[in-house]
Parts: sequence; structure tokens; C-alpha cells
Amino acid sequence: MAEVEFDRVSKVYEDGTRAVNDFRVEIADGEFLVLVGPSGCGKTTALRMVAGLEEITEGVVRIGDRIVNHVPSRDRDIAMVFQSYALYPHLSVRENIAFGLKVKRLPKDEIARRVERAARILDLEPFLDRKPRALSGGQRQRVAMGRAIVREPACFLMDEPLSNLDAKLRVQMRAEIARLQQELGVTTLYVTHDQVEAMTMGDRVAVMRKGELQQVAAPQELYDHPVNLFVAGFIGSPAMNLLEGRLERAGDGLAVRAGGQTLSLPAELTAARPALARYVDRTVIVGIRPEDLEDAAVAGDAPEGRRLGGVAQLREALGSELMVYLTVDAPAAVTAETDELAEDRGVQQLGADEPGTTVVGRFSPRSRVREGDRVEVVVDTSALHFFDPDTGLGIYDATNGGGPT
Amino acid sequence: MALADAGAPAPPPGLEGPDPGRWRRRLTTAAFLAPAIVLLTVWIVYPTIRTIIRSLFGRDGSEWVGLGNYETLFTTDTLVTAIRNNAIWVAVVPALVAAIGMVFAVLTERISWKVAFRTAVFMPMAISMFAAGVIWHIMDEKDPERGAVNAAIGAIKDVFGSSGVLSRGQPSSDALTGSVRDGFVLRATVRPGDGALLGLTAIPPAEVPADAEQAVAPEPAAGEIVGVVWRDFRPGGGEPGVVEPGELGIPGATVELRDAAGEVVATTRTGADGGFAFADVADGGYRVAIGSKTFAAPFEGISWLGPDLITPSVMIAYIWVWAGFAMVVIAAGLSAIPRDVLEAARTDGATEWQVFRRVTVPLLAPVLSVVFVTMIINVLKVFDIVLSVAPGSSQDDANVIALAMWRTSFSGVNDFGLGSAIAVLLFVLVIPALALNIRRFKREES
Repeated sequence: MAEVEFDRVSKVYEDGTRAVNDFRVEIADGEFLVLVGPSGCGKTTALRMVAGLEEITEGVVRIGDRIVNHVPSRDRDIAMVFQSYALYPHLSVRENIAFGLKVKRLPKDEIARRVERAARILDLEPFLDRKPRALSGGQRQRVAMGRAIVREPACFLMDEPLSNLDAKLRVQMRAEIARLQQELGVTTLYVTHDQVEAMTMGDRVAVMRKGELQQVAAPQELYDHPVNLFVAGFIGSPAMNLLEGRLERAGDGLAVRAGGQTLSLPAELTAARPALARYVDRTVIVGIRPEDLEDAAVAGDAPEGRRLGGVAQLREALGSELMVYLTVDAPAAVTAETDELAEDRGVQQLGADEPGTTVVGRFSPRSRVREGDRVEVVVDTSALHFFDPDTGLGIYDATNGGGPT
Repeated sequence: MALADAGAPAPPPGLEGPDPGRWRRRLTTAAFLAPAIVLLTVWIVYPTIRTIIRSLFGRDGSEWVGLGNYETLFTTDTLVTAIRNNAIWVAVVPALVAAIGMVFAVLTERISWKVAFRTAVFMPMAISMFAAGVIWHIMDEKDPERGAVNAAIGAIKDVFGSSGVLSRGQPSSDALTGSVRDGFVLRATVRPGDGALLGLTAIPPAEVPADAEQAVAPEPAAGEIVGVVWRDFRPGGGEPGVVEPGELGIPGATVELRDAAGEVVATTRTGADGGFAFADVADGGYRVAIGSKTFAAPFEGISWLGPDLITPSVMIAYIWVWAGFAMVVIAAGLSAIPRDVLEAARTDGATEWQVFRRVTVPLLAPVLSVVFVTMIINVLKVFDIVLSVAPGSSQDDANVIALAMWRTSFSGVNDFGLGSAIAVLLFVLVIPALALNIRRFKREES
């Protein structure tokens, strides 16, 4: 058991690419930290630097009190779970799990005891004498976990361990790994590109983009107070709707005009985000979470300043909720961040060539909206998010320092 | 009846009666198989059977000898040597080729000149076996002036060996007698207080030590024997036995003082001017000699092609040719090992050696077995390289089965019966290795 610390760590490849830049995170003893970001953001590189599989160009990595920059993998007291599981194909499940103990020359009965225990925890007892190729994906994944836990290491490193599983198994293993980590209390660094995994598993989540750390916070904090546009867009599914608008004074308070529509900001929101005052008569990016949109026909009457009008393009009924994609007469926010997020999701930004913006609303299933209908939407204006269109930073307090890290 | 009818419905129209297309199909099949069958019969099946039958007949094929040829095969010295040598080949060479190939493959995996290096190691495969044998035959010549291997060993010996200052020399006058091997002795008896002049000629100018100075004639002193060893030669002549200006002393020469019985009682070395002195010599008659240590015994070369070392020499040549093949196959196997399995082993706490021993080698096992079995078959059949490396005088000692077969059948002996028997023996020996190979192919297919 130990804490893990990245102290201004950078990874520069020979061609000058900075895969990880000035990375700083401290992982507390026993904490489950998820490193999340789009592919190519450097999260796996960061993990491999802790594992000792990648050289550290700048900065220092500590495990416990020890600087491990030049400590070989085998002496770092870590255990890694690979995306491909990387089981030894020529060894049985039992030998796979025991490998790390055998090379450390532990006594035979101790090895047997630990392997039995791990097999019991992971329900692998019936498969101990099989070869990995005779196992299903989920079983292989559990063998990889078993190989990590028998070592009783100071730290687990997991590199997208669930990404090769089907959706159902992934949900199940997600819960299992989280439970296991809690029981064992081993410091864990978990890399994933799946923000759902990040949100559900981590004690804290670190979001990375292009080798740079964006924000480290508890999942809910990350969701409620994203430090910038990137984090706001990356965390949450469906993603936050981002519109471009203009902040104006409206009587005592503030209002934001987006295209032909105006949303007035409640007093408590302006109080919580004093920095907004500096943006009066300037362009801002407004973020609205899908769940903060509701069909006016269901939500009942709402004042003028809390409504948006749009045309429903697509409805996806999920039973418990209804996703409605509608075109709203307001310009979309287009920045480098939103481009990158769209690319990561594998979609072109919708509405780029037509007037208005596509926004997603998470409606009550009682809504009777059909494709092509004109819809009045009620917005929970107290939950709006604001971002500076130039810097992409969230607009919070006077110092504009963003959410707590 | 009704049941039977239901179980065997009438064939649809067109399939009733004899199938008109059947013969046509058989003909097509036969046409496609014919070339292979003809070639296999003419080149493989017939010769095999004919050879087996021939092996039961005598020298000219007219006399039935039964298993007599086989009896001869196992009782003739050179043939038994051939079988024994082949056994040694099978025991040593495949393992060495696989091991050396593996070392090259692993060591070149991460170097930047990988391609150049691997090409160089693989290059011998492009040379005909016979030509490779000729190259090694020349390199293995005993005379260091001709054989590169012995020249290299000689050069190394010269660097590290305690060889003398000169390689040769001759007395410059009758005053000295002896040889390079025994040293040169002054004919005259020397007593304390005398001087000794030890002149040498026929020293190659390049061998005169660089620190040599003008030789100085000794000045006798009481109780001492003094003298000089010098190069008694100067361009344009000079008088033998006399130290003259322009003649250099020979530093570092070993000088021995021998008593009347010829026992060495003292030795010393000459200085830069070739001078030496034995102090406090007891009264009596002595002989002064230039010790044989002064002269380096020239390296005469190891007899690589002689009867004792011929089999190892041929094996070295053979391994030189095949190591590249093993390296390429094993390197391909190495690159097929998933990187993250090796990384997993490292994070699991294994040292590099443990990763190699417990992960890399087991995962390479299929590839290693391909190399091994291929090499066993090749080694059983080894022939041309033995013929070209081993000179005629050593071929009895280097003999292997295939060479024995050829020599018995074609090279003067012309005993086709015995030759056929040897061929059959070789055939029988190759079968297990082939069976192993076929079983592996089948397993890979399934």
C-alpha cells in the first residue's frame, strides 16, 4: 500500500512529440483514481511510466516515498492489468496466477495458498488447470485480475481492462473490480477512455487532453463544475449541449440571448458565479445538460425566460426516459475543444451547415413528442454552465479559477 | 412396403440408372493426378525400390548376397566411422545451430543495424554448400601464411605471447655455433675477466628492436664476464666478428652462462647497446651462449584439416552456413510474440533472464522445433561440405554416411551393392525425423 505521485512528469519522444506534459497528480493510499480522456491523450503513456515500461523524460514518479524513475519494473512493487490481458498462453490459469510469485521464489505452500484465495475471490476455481485459450473473454479478464491481486502489490495499474469485453460483461466486471479494489484497499490507477467507467468506478477522476491534465476531482464534482469546455463536453452521456450566446442585463438580473431566444438567469446562479458580471455584453458559451431540458407539455407552465423552442428531429425511447434531438434556433459553439470532442465520438458536428443547433433533451417518457413536431422545452436555468469562448474556461468566481481540484 | 417406400424415395429423374458423367469425372481426376504420379514414380518410387533391391546384390549386380552388404557396412572401419560421425553431427549441430541462431536473433532484435547484421549472417545461405566448403578449406590451411584461421590465431599469439625479440638469425662468424632452437654458443671457452663477442647476421631489418643503439665492444673487468650481442652487419660489408660503427646492438636478447658440463649457471639480458655482463663469476672456464629464448618459436599453425580436428572444422563451416537460417526463422518467431506478454512478465517481477527463460523460450518452442527437425534432416544428409572441406587424406576421418555412399559407389571403389545398402540406411535414419515433421504439419492444420 502506498501513494503514487506524478511530479511534473513529461514524456517526450525522439521526434519531439510531447505525449504527456507537466503532469501532476497525487494518488492517495488506497485511492481509486481513474485517468480518462480521448484516445491519444497520453493516459496510457502516463500509466506505463508508473509501470516502468516507458522511460520518464522529465519529472519524477514516486511510489510510496521512493522515486522510481530508474527502478526497473520488477522492483516497483506494482501489478498491471493489460487491455489484452497478456496472459501467458503456454501456462495454465494456476501457473499464470502463480507466475509473479514463482519468479520471486516464494515458498510453494504460500504460493498455493494465495492462488487458491485469488481463485476463490474471482470464481476461477473450476478453471485453474485450463489454458487461457480455453477461457472466455470475461474469464481471461478475471485471470489477469487474479495475477495482479496475488502479488499483493503497493499499487494496481489497469490499462483499459474492460474494453475487450461485451457491454453486459463490462457492466458486471466494472462493479466487480470496484468492489475488489474496495475490499483490498490497494491504491489503483485505472486508465479508460470510457467516461461511464470513469464516473462509476473512480474515487476521483483525472481528465486528460493532448497530454495535459485538465481536471482532477470526484466524479460528481467533475460533472457539476467542469473546469473547462473540454471536461464539460467529455463527461456526461449524452454530452452537454453547447450554444453560443450573448450575456445581457435584463432588469435586475442577467439574461443570455442565443439566436432568437433568451434565457434569464436566476439570482442564485449569478450569485454562485460572480465572474459572469464581467461578461455582460460579451459572447459566452452556454452549456445545458440534457437532463436539464424537459418537454413543456410534461413539465407544465414555465415563464418565458426559461423556454427554448425547437423542432424535434429524432426521438429515442429508452423506456425509462426519452432522448429527443431537436434543432434549436441558436448558433452552436464551435471551438477547438468541441471539434476534438466531436472527433472523439466519431461524429461530425451536427447542424454545421443548417441554421440552428441540435441539442439533446432527456425527457420524461410521458412526453408525446414526435419527429417533426415543434417543441417547447423548459430549461432548468439554475443548472446552466458558462464558458469563456476564447479560453474555454468555465466562468465561476471572480478569479475565474475554475472548480476545486 | 409402405415404410420402405417412405424411407427410400425414388431418385429424381436424371439420376436413374448408370451415371453418364461418371467416367468423364474419373477421367478428369486421372488427368489432373497423372503428371504428379508419373513424376513421383519415375523419380521417387522406382529409384527407392530399385535401390533397396540393388543393396541385396554384390558389386556388379549379378550375385545375390542377401544382407551381406549390410554386414559389411557395420564391420568396415571407415563406414562405422561414418555412422559414428553422423551420430555426433546429429547430437551437436542442430543444437548449436538453434542456439547460435537464437543468440543472434535475440541480440539483434533491438539494434539499429539489425538489417545489415542479419543480412551478413544470412549471406552464407546464398553460397553453394560446396563453395562454402572450399572457402573454409582454404581458411583452415595449416600454414599461417595461407590459412586465415591460423594467421589470426598466430597474430593473437604474437600480441599476448612472450615471444623473443628475433624470429631468426645466423652466426656472423665461425666463433659461434648452434641453431635458433638450441641457441648459439661461443666456441671459445671464456674465463672471468674475458670479453665475449656474439655477432649475428641474417636478421630482417624490421626485426631489429626500435630502441637498439650503436653496439659497443665490451671492456673486460676482473671477476666479470662481459660481452655484446649485436647485428654484425652494415651496408657495404664490414668485417665479421668485429664491432664497427653503424652496427647496432640487440637489446633484450637472453644470454646464458654455461659451465663446462653445459649447465646454465646464470642468465642475463642485453641492454640497449647489446652489452651484457655477468658479475662475480667464480673462477673457471665457461661457455657463453645466446639463449633460444631470444628467438620466438614461429607459430606453425593448428592442423584443422588433419585427422583429429577435421570433423569439428567441417561442423564449424556447416554451422556458419546454417546459423543465418536459424536466426531468420527464430527472429520471425520472436517478433510474433506479443509485446505485452513480455511486459506483463516484467511487471510481474521477472528479471530479464526469467522473462527469457520462462516466457520467450516457451513461446518460441514451436519455432525452435521447426529449426531442430529441419536441421536433423539436413545433418543426416550432410555431404558436399564434408567433401569440399576435408582434403582426401582426412576424408576417412571426416566420413559421414552420405559421403561414404558416394565414395563407395562412384569414387574408385564402384561397389554399387554396398553403396545402395548405405543409401538405404540413410533413408531409414531420415524416416523418424520426417514422421515428426509430418505429424507437426498435421497438428498445425487441425
